[in-house]
Amino acid sequence: MEKTLLKREDLQKLIDGVREKGGRFVAPKTLARQVVYAEVDSTEQIVWDYIVPRNSIKEFFFPQTEPILKFRLMKEGVEVEDVRVEPQRTVLFGVRPCDAASCGSVRKIFTWDFIDEFYTKREDSAVIMTVACTSSDDECFCTTVGVSPEGKEGADIFLKETVDGDYLVEATTDKGKAFVEEFKEVFTEWNDAELKETANPEPIEGVDIEKIVEFLKDRSHYDSEIWAELARKCVGCGACTFTCPTCRCFDMVDEGTYIEGERRKNWDACQFDSFTLHASGHNPRDTQYKRWRNRFMCKFNFYPVKFTTKGCVGCGRCIRVCPVRLDITEVMIEVSEAAKDV
Amino acid sequence: MSNIYMPYLVTIEDMFEEAPGVKTLNLVFKDPKVRENFEFRTGQFGLYSVFGYGESTFCIASPETRKGYIQCTFRRVGRVTTALSELSVGDTIGFRGPYGNWFPVDEWKGKNILFIAGGIGLPPVRSVIWTCLDRREDYGDITIVYGARTVDDLVYKEELKHWEDRDDVTLIKTVDPGGEKEGWDGKVGFVPTVLEEASPEVKNTVCVICGPPVMIKFSLSVLERLGFKDEDVYTTLENKMKCGVGKCGRCNVGDIYICKEGPVYTAAQVKKMYNDF
Repeated sequence: MEKTLLKREDLQKLIDGVREKGGRFVAPKTLARQVVYAEVDSTEQIVWDYIVPRNSIKEFFFPQTEPILKFRLMKEGVEVEDVRVEPQRTVLFGVRPCDAASCGSVRKIFTWDFIDEFYTKREDSAVIMTVACTSSDDECFCTTVGVSPEGKEGADIFLKETVDGDYLVEATTDKGKAFVEEFKEVFTEWNDAELKETANPEPIEGVDIEKIVEFLKDRSHYDSEIWAELARKCVGCGACTFTCPTCRCFDMVDEGTYIEGERRKNWDACQFDSFTLHASGHNPRDTQYKRWRNRFMCKFNFYPVKFTTKGCVGCGRCIRVCPVRLDITEVMIEVSEAAKDV
Repeated sequence: MSNIYMPYLVTIEDMFEEAPGVKTLNLVFKDPKVRENFEFRTGQFGLYSVFGYGESTFCIASPETRKGYIQCTFRRVGRVTTALSELSVGDTIGFRGPYGNWFPVDEWKGKNILFIAGGIGLPPVRSVIWTCLDRREDYGDITIVYGARTVDDLVYKEELKHWEDRDDVTLIKTVDPGGEKEGWDGKVGFVPTVLEEASPEVKNTVCVICGPPVMIKFSLSVLERLGFKDEDVYTTLENKMKCGVGKCGRCNVGDIYICKEGPVYTAAQVKKMYNDF
């Protein structure tokens, strides 16, 4: 693999180049006092010293809200207009390995049998520039779920920071290679600079992912009393789902006047009590622990077993944003413990 | 490639009041090519939309043997169904589908079929009934046990009369105790009880059941006592759905996505599911 160098001082050229060709450049920046992945037009806006941005990158492929069709009620009847996604090329710079790893998972949902082009077209036209983590915090647990702070999964271009603040560049996919080729004037010869040390969060003691997955496969464990106990404090705010890189549940809502409007696909959360509520009043997941259990199942059963991909990438966002400190890794420890006894 | 959320446009060609709050719509595809070529299998469902209000999920209530139109029967309960029931003949709505799996009617050739339905659970069953009646010679005895809370709540009243009059169909109709009224010539009693009394033939018989959860629960025990195997009892599961295509995350029962892997299951399959109903 040919290595090149991306000097920090040359990054502006890359931003300008991408933008001149009609693309958008996304990087960690401060918005509403938080570091988030957001569009930038200058390196001055980029935050260099961050651990995990508050948002995941899913919103660049699966926006919080987007129109999927437009309708107009006419005298002659209804007119419905298709909304075609003509995505802008999105270059995502400084993506953490956990976030990059999540793309393949979300993609599986949006492509099994029926292909949701709103998602795939955006993701297809994105270039993901992952940067290895040089620091982690107490909430990071990627190594517990099989993701590495220098993991290349999902990356088109993999970057490692040098002690000078430049980047060692490795194009890991054809798309990444083509991108480096396209902007070759920006990338220079690798100078054997010293690399910053990669972060190495210790795997959490007492968590055995394989055991958790095995435990959940047995449907009798679904009725175990541990769930009500473990999820008791959940208030159902859904913050974990919105910040989670692999959560992708949505609602479909008509908005506008009754003369014209749009049908929109909006983020939704399996943590809300109305999510599965039938018109009849029956609700299959009628209490909060059942909804929390569903999310845990989604991460450690539906994704790994049904879709053979990662459900949890260990970014730690759900722990950071939880208002009641419901720590998923504590539940993972408890479930690993329960799995020992069977 | 295309937008998987785009509905076909369909015109309401006719509408019938089946019972208080329950209506049937006859829907015809606006695009002549779709009208010509649209096919589905009995048991499949669709999403019906009133633009400006949203989409609702119902089975296709007409049989797969009748082409050129589809029917849906729904009870007015929420926002979309209220909007739907206020529309008139000639109005346009949206339809996405057909989605999901179907009742394996081809595998049932030569068998007797026992249909059990309660209340608004008859529409999906009725699609299968007519599919089988339209190919009557392919099947053995056809028995229908149908009940509702009251006489007025029975849906497809005309068809019940028709099935009753046919020599090649046995119809047992019932209403819950207290739901009878003058002139009622059916039974009075809950569906499971009436089913047990009727003691239908078990040998070489498959059963299709749909209705309120409590009716299904007790009827399944009766079927088991009568000697039916879980593999021969089919039902259709309904859950709240938005996308209908395995993406939105609502309809799953444990790891099973009803919209894509269902909605038709045998009782044996249902018993293996996570307890997430």
